[in-house]
Amino acid sequence: MSMPLINDDTMIEDETEDLSEEMSSSESEQEEDVRLTEPSKTAVYNRDALLDKLGDLSWPENVEWIHKLSVDIDQEQEVDVNDDLARELAFYTQALEGTRHAFEKLQSMGLPFLRPSDYYAEMVKTDGHMEKVKGRLLAEKRKMEEAEERRKAREAKRLSKEIQAQKLKERAKQKKDDIESVKKWRKQRQQSGFADSGSNDADMGFSFEDGKVFERSNKKRPGVSPGDRSGGKAKQAFGKGKKQKKREGRNSKFGFGGKKGMKKQNTADTTNDFSKFNKGAAAGNKKRKR
Amino acid sequence: MGKKRKHSERGEVVAQPKMEEVAPERPARTLLGWKDKNQCNNEVDDNDNVDSPFFRNKEKVLVTCSRRINYRYRHLMLNLVSLLPHSKKDNKVESKETKGATLNELVELKNCSSCLFFECRKQKDLYLWMAKCPNGPSVKFLVSAVHTMEELKLTGNHLRGSRPILTFSQNFEKDAHWKLLKEMLLQIFETPKDHRKAKPFHDHVFVFSIVDDHIWFRNYQISVHHNESDKLPRGGLDKMTLIEVGPRFCLNPIKIFGGSFGGPTLYENPFYVSPNQIRALEKKKKSGKFAKKVKAKTRRKMHEMNNPLEPDEFADMWKD
Repeated sequence: MSMPLINDDTMIEDETEDLSEEMSSSESEQEEDVRLTEPSKTAVYNRDALLDKLGDLSWPENVEWIHKLSVDIDQEQEVDVNDDLARELAFYTQALEGTRHAFEKLQSMGLPFLRPSDYYAEMVKTDGHMEKVKGRLLAEKRKMEEAEERRKAREAKRLSKEIQAQKLKERAKQKKDDIESVKKWRKQRQQSGFADSGSNDADMGFSFEDGKVFERSNKKRPGVSPGDRSGGKAKQAFGKGKKQKKREGRNSKFGFGGKKGMKKQNTADTTNDFSKFNKGAAAGNKKRKR
Repeated sequence: MGKKRKHSERGEVVAQPKMEEVAPERPARTLLGWKDKNQCNNEVDDNDNVDSPFFRNKEKVLVTCSRRINYRYRHLMLNLVSLLPHSKKDNKVESKETKGATLNELVELKNCSSCLFFECRKQKDLYLWMAKCPNGPSVKFLVSAVHTMEELKLTGNHLRGSRPILTFSQNFEKDAHWKLLKEMLLQIFETPKDHRKAKPFHDHVFVFSIVDDHIWFRNYQISVHHNESDKLPRGGLDKMTLIEVGPRFCLNPIKIFGGSFGGPTLYENPFYVSPNQIRALEKKKKSGKFAKKVKAKTRRKMHEMNNPLEPDEFADMWKD
């Protein structure tokens, strides 16, 4: 007996799963009952007999209200059946009004009607079921929160993208403007016939004049070869001829600080740097080959 | 063999009440002995004149269903049983036996004064019979928009067996049959005061509302924040909220009969169309497709035969 019951329960759970989602829609679907547009002529309506039966059936007139506990509530306006929300709201308000009336009556009678908080008794729904209900509520809440978070993240991403795009645009514009201004300046200078060339030339030795304007070298220390241990001092020192400077150069190359192991790597600078070659030796080689 | 014997027994059982009816009426019994006829008459008069100082509601409701009921409808029935502490649940009744006599007998056997009988047809249509038992009336409803209490969307909960507050919408006073229905609903759904299974507090409310000529049922839990049992804090009534417990259903009255499970028809819903008819209509709508196609084809053929194309004078133009 218990097995099929359990099965049923799971079934109903499944049912409720999809029901809960389309509760309102399904309801209105169900209610879409066809009815005759005009009342059928043959329908019986025996009012006297009905009233007679009512008289037979009903309790004596003076039965105390406590036996009935019933309240009549006036609906203000006609409720549209197909509008689920309005309909349920009407029922809810009816119930609320009714309980208010009833509680006032009970209170005036001096009867206890509210359950004390320490009164525990069997409930209509079992604890297990209520646990499930709670779980569902929590899950729903979590789902909503997650959705909210996702939405926020999406929004933030969109915003950041926008900002990034704007930044890029700005940068491009800046670049363009700069180039433009320089060109203008050059033209002006050309037109004025390099009037003030001599003195200013050193200052105007812009690095971007040779075309690759804002290209940054990707080296951390521009102008320093990777193996260099003194941070570019060697280059200045090398080839100047003086003894002490030579010493410095050697130091930068072979010892005293800096990263080791990089000195064997070639870079564009080192390959193009012929300063360390002995010209005489190269000539000698040539000679030998011949 | 066995069947036959059973049948004969049943026949006897049916026969018995008739015998009793024939027998002369015994005076009603009181605690101290038999009432003599005169007093008894007085008593009856009292009941009619509504002078009895003592009123005791001894309603008992038998709740059963037909065989092959849908699980959903069965759950609905069980929900109702759990809502009505003054109800008795009985075994399913064989569909063929749903004739009034057997049901009446069953109700009598169980000492009940009213009956809720859930009749499921074709695994999809649920009819609810609501009957006051020995001498009527009875109503047959079509039940729709069923939601059981197990549904997780309905989050309320209340004491099992606390007496509900019934609320009726005003339009129950509109007409005689609605009045009758209201009285029946009141008697069947209200738990008798001081019923032994009833609990002394009120924490739920039933809603019976007529919308669109259907009776809608809702059950709400009343949740009030309070400290003491019988005193509401100031403004407590305003802060009261309701949480739906379920079940939900919607009753469409079909017929009202004078007797219990039978008798003369007192009311017939003039707008009612049975779900079978609705389904048949739908099927009919869908069915004509092939026939229509064939018809169209033959019509086209006839048309072509009647109006043949003129021979094309330019047909051979490019043939040389």
